[in-house]
Amino acid sequence: MKVTINDVSMDFAPGTSVIDAVFAAGYDVPYFCSQEYMSPIGACRMCLARVGAPRKDREGNWILDEETGEPKIFYFPNMMATCTTQVMEGMVVDTLSDDVKRVQNGMVEFTLINHPLDCPVCDKGGACELQDRAYEYGTGESRFVFDKRHQEKHHPLSEVITLDRERCIHCKRCVRYFEEVPGDGVLDFIERGGHTYIGTLEDGLPSNFTGNITDICPVGALLDTTSRFRGRNWEYDHTRSTGMDDAGGSAIVIDARTGRIERIKGALNPEVNKTWIDDGTRFGHEYVDADDRLRSPLVRKDGELVPATWEEAAQVVRDRLGGLSGKDIGIALRADATLEEGVAAKALAEALGTGQLDHAPRPAASVVPQQAPATLTDLATADAIFVVGDVTEEVPIADLRIKDALKGVTPPEMMAHGVPIADLRLKEHPVFHRERLSVAAPYRVDLMKHAGRTASYPAGGEAALFAALQAIAEAQDAKAEDAEAAAVQLDDGQRAALGMSLADAEALVRGLREADNAVVVIGGFVLATRAAAAAAATFAKAVGAKQLILGPMANSYGLELLHVGPSHDRYAYPGMLEGARALILSNLDPAQDPDVRATLEQKDFLVVHDLFLTETAKIADVVLPARSVYERDGTTVNLEGRFLPLQAAPVDAGESEDFVGVVGALGDALGQRLEGRSVRSARRVLRKRFELDPAELGPSGELYRPKGRPAPRVSIRSDEAVGGNVLVTPSMLRVEYLERNPHLLALSGGSRLRVNPADAAQHGLGDGEAVSLRVGGVVRRARVRLDAGVPAGLMLLPTLPEQPVGLAHADLATLTRDERELEVAG
Amino acid sequence: MSDVADATTPITSRHDPRYEVVMYRHVGIDGAWTLDYYRGHGGYASARKALTTMTPAQVIDEVKASKLRGRGGAGFPTGVKWSFMPPVDGRQRLLVVNADESEPGSFKDRYIMEDDPHQLIEGIIIGCYAIQATKAFIYIRGEYGLGYRRLVQAVEEARAAGILGKNALGSDVEVDITVHRGAGAYICGEETALMNSLEGLRGNPRLKPPFPAQAGVYGLPTTINNVTTMTSVVHIIERGADWFASMGTEDSKGTKLYQISGTVVRPGVYELPMGATFRELIYDLAGGPKGEAKGFFPGGSSTPPFPWRDEFLDMPMDYGTLANSGSMLGTGGVIVIPKEKDIVDAMYNVVRFYAHESCGKCTPCREGISTWLPKMYQKLLAGLGTREDLDLMEDMVRNTRGTAFCPLADACAMPVQASFKWFRDEYEYLVDHGTPMYTKNDWWEA
Repeated sequence: MKVTINDVSMDFAPGTSVIDAVFAAGYDVPYFCSQEYMSPIGACRMCLARVGAPRKDREGNWILDEETGEPKIFYFPNMMATCTTQVMEGMVVDTLSDDVKRVQNGMVEFTLINHPLDCPVCDKGGACELQDRAYEYGTGESRFVFDKRHQEKHHPLSEVITLDRERCIHCKRCVRYFEEVPGDGVLDFIERGGHTYIGTLEDGLPSNFTGNITDICPVGALLDTTSRFRGRNWEYDHTRSTGMDDAGGSAIVIDARTGRIERIKGALNPEVNKTWIDDGTRFGHEYVDADDRLRSPLVRKDGELVPATWEEAAQVVRDRLGGLSGKDIGIALRADATLEEGVAAKALAEALGTGQLDHAPRPAASVVPQQAPATLTDLATADAIFVVGDVTEEVPIADLRIKDALKGVTPPEMMAHGVPIADLRLKEHPVFHRERLSVAAPYRVDLMKHAGRTASYPAGGEAALFAALQAIAEAQDAKAEDAEAAAVQLDDGQRAALGMSLADAEALVRGLREADNAVVVIGGFVLATRAAAAAAATFAKAVGAKQLILGPMANSYGLELLHVGPSHDRYAYPGMLEGARALILSNLDPAQDPDVRATLEQKDFLVVHDLFLTETAKIADVVLPARSVYERDGTTVNLEGRFLPLQAAPVDAGESEDFVGVVGALGDALGQRLEGRSVRSARRVLRKRFELDPAELGPSGELYRPKGRPAPRVSIRSDEAVGGNVLVTPSMLRVEYLERNPHLLALSGGSRLRVNPADAAQHGLGDGEAVSLRVGGVVRRARVRLDAGVPAGLMLLPTLPEQPVGLAHADLATLTRDERELEVAG
Repeated sequence: MSDVADATTPITSRHDPRYEVVMYRHVGIDGAWTLDYYRGHGGYASARKALTTMTPAQVIDEVKASKLRGRGGAGFPTGVKWSFMPPVDGRQRLLVVNADESEPGSFKDRYIMEDDPHQLIEGIIIGCYAIQATKAFIYIRGEYGLGYRRLVQAVEEARAAGILGKNALGSDVEVDITVHRGAGAYICGEETALMNSLEGLRGNPRLKPPFPAQAGVYGLPTTINNVTTMTSVVHIIERGADWFASMGTEDSKGTKLYQISGTVVRPGVYELPMGATFRELIYDLAGGPKGEAKGFFPGGSSTPPFPWRDEFLDMPMDYGTLANSGSMLGTGGVIVIPKEKDIVDAMYNVVRFYAHESCGKCTPCREGISTWLPKMYQKLLAGLGTREDLDLMEDMVRNTRGTAFCPLADACAMPVQASFKWFRDEYEYLVDHGTPMYTKNDWWEA
């Protein structure tokens, strides 16, 4: 449709909003209420313009202007809000005339009459849409001589978000965000007219995605409490990187000032996270600046760890490893290491001549599916989705993309100015097509409230669940071929495995099969056993669905793709903890299990590369200070197989090095130029291996689709015994750092042991009690939370890198009140 | 005041031999709200006629031919609105009756719901049949306690008698009615805000398009009509479109319930053919102003007022004439302004109402109408205003005209602008002298 904006004529697709036409034409109108990826509502009235269009007469011919002979332009009697007006053939838009200016001046004046104009003390100053727009479109003075509205200036909406009600300009972005994006309607306007303010009905913001409202607030009304009063916007160094708290690979911006990370914001990656990030990713950065962060290497001398230089530490490592056969040395990285670190680890293992190399946690089943995995865009456009697991905690961004699918609006086409500002296909109060979503989990998970069908199968029963669904699929096949075939017959065991009625299960299978784009999402519960993962893959294939596998950590996919693994399953991480005589562990803390600690104490030599003096570091011979995920340059691969860049923010981390740096230093000490001694050198290897250049990744990253099937992986030796009385669950919050993230700690109340109320009574546990318990050997401290959504006989505990998702055995005899807590209390 | 306060029933034009009272024929009669009474006076014959002898399309055509225009204020042709409903596609279709009569000066629907609820139910049955909806909602203003109770009672009676339900009036047409009570917000009379409120959402107006016929309540095809639009339909079906179209003016047909309040001898509701003049209503029926009048609102407080001049008094009350004169017919609620009431104070009263009722969604209304404008009036009335303030008010009000999301801001801005146009001398007197031109506060005793 041809539209003329001032003096520019352009063609636009039908349905385009006029505001996007104006921006695409290179002109500007101010706006506050419109927001990318959210419904336009026309509330702020800033984007008004004079709009006209030709008309047709009754015969369908254009009404012509008598003088010019051109179609006559009929202007709308009122100024039109361009965000809520669609383009029309022959439309004329005027954004520059005096009439438009007068109205824009008037709207700025109205917007400012109740705004406190406390810009000099406002954290948003310098990055404030209202400030910019008032400067560009205001008159610079106000005729309002009365008292401004006075309201609460420091209202804590939650432990991590502070609301200043005086600064609010009622754009409603935050309210719409919660309704439309996560679908958690937790905010609304209260009161009306000039008294309107934003508030919650109950305390807090129960959602995993609250922080995004601080990104989209056009003024300083909603602020990230962790960064409040920490700096001015122009003082921050903005570093675009990738969130490493889960396998989603969300784009983030790290804002640092004087060597300290002050805040994390969401960044745009239209293919992955759009502009949203979860609260774990946003607020979980404070540990980086904890007081007890290691800043220099430590070497054990006379039984004490004492500070040393990197050269000294590397010499000690060289000398001590020199006395050992290479194959006695084990090397393990945590699964959020970059590909470059993986290359370095492989090079080191090769140089030392050991096959004992692994990354952890690494589930029993592969996170790289045989068929190309579904992309997040596949997920967002799916018409049938089956989730087994707790995706909201596991890969939160996948949860939001599922909700895109439930809204049923495909991702918008990019325009000349980027993401459309006002996508008119999006509606306020959207209808979520729940019937497209089925969720199965052993307990009540958050996503179930949006699911048309839910199933609570017995924990550990994932293989049986998929087998039963497979049986249904096969019976349906038989029925399709032969109408006389018997109806689906399941025995009692199979029925119990479904966790839902047979009718529901049949409808689920049929829905997946009949869908054009079906996606089966499987999480850690399924990956915990190879049998379950295989059954899931078979089922997905049978119903023609793509698979999306939620790996346990940010780069699980990449490290497996790179094959940072053992030469034999005996040498996998659990094996090397037992068998190796010397260990180099990066960011892993196995000594949380006292039995493992005892084993490690017997090792000839133990090197720990970590941020903090962990239980394992305390017994190490050499401790090397590690860089956090925000301080690394490198590449990660998300759950879609998308290569995404990490960039180091300018953070003061002492002498910390990533594993690339560790290998560089050891190589120097060994007198070898190892591949992976630097990021550049590691990338040479990656370029060859993957035929793409990690240094040249675009802002959306690059999907890697290898020709042929991935190489078979070496699995963890596991007897596949399923059972236990504790279910280790995925967690958006990284429990290993929770104690050092004071705001998230306050928000979450710490690590939770969720117990069914009946069980709690039996064990004598009270809500909120601090307890200590050995789970799968690991000593866990947690706070009891009574939760009727937990099945009887089961306790839920969030995962740690050393405690993968799935069933575990807990010795209830070790369940005690947490003495640390009692000491503090006493 | 005394007449209004003492009146147990509204004065209708029933006693004027020149006019036949149609919609208000049972109003003011004790017990007229029962089913027995209504059926005893020929009730539900019209609905039975529509359901048994006409197709839905014929009903719509009949209403179109009658040229009935919506009685809620905007005056949109009812038959045309009904024909906007999409073809039947299996989705639930809804009829919503807007009974949130909140405009100051309007009270015509109230007495129908209180005294003659079955007339409305009959209209709803016909309307539902025409648009093939099986479910209707009556969204009644929260303050109408008696109307609500009588409506609920009438719906229950009608349901028990088989008039509503799976087989309405013994036919195979299903119609049921839910009476929903508002919570006292003027804005919920705006049809999209009404839909939000009905769904349990905040009473903010919604974006149009989609229009209610495409995606209304709960996203379903919905038609929204005023109470007296629905009751007009009863008589159009009963007596034929020709009868209805034979009354009124070129662009406004039929009879309408006009309301009159303020300082007149007999305030009340009067049923007149469209196009009767204000003079007729004010003098012949309402008995003329008590004391001297200086102006009047022609159709409720949101319509720009006129000064007390012959050219306006002799104006016919129809949609076109008033629109052309810079005002609106609105709901047809005439409010007479006595000379003794200072216009600044009178307008402050109007402005306070709209300031209180602004929903706060959009900027010009929330900040201009709801915050700034009442403060300016307070300043003037405190004797602190200046001539510059008057210019500022005019300019600021101009910025709220045609810029807001819904018509509420205009509903306040337009009368204010008209008051500046016709009565600027009173504003100027106030800012120049620090006291109003008229200080008498007990004008209603005149």
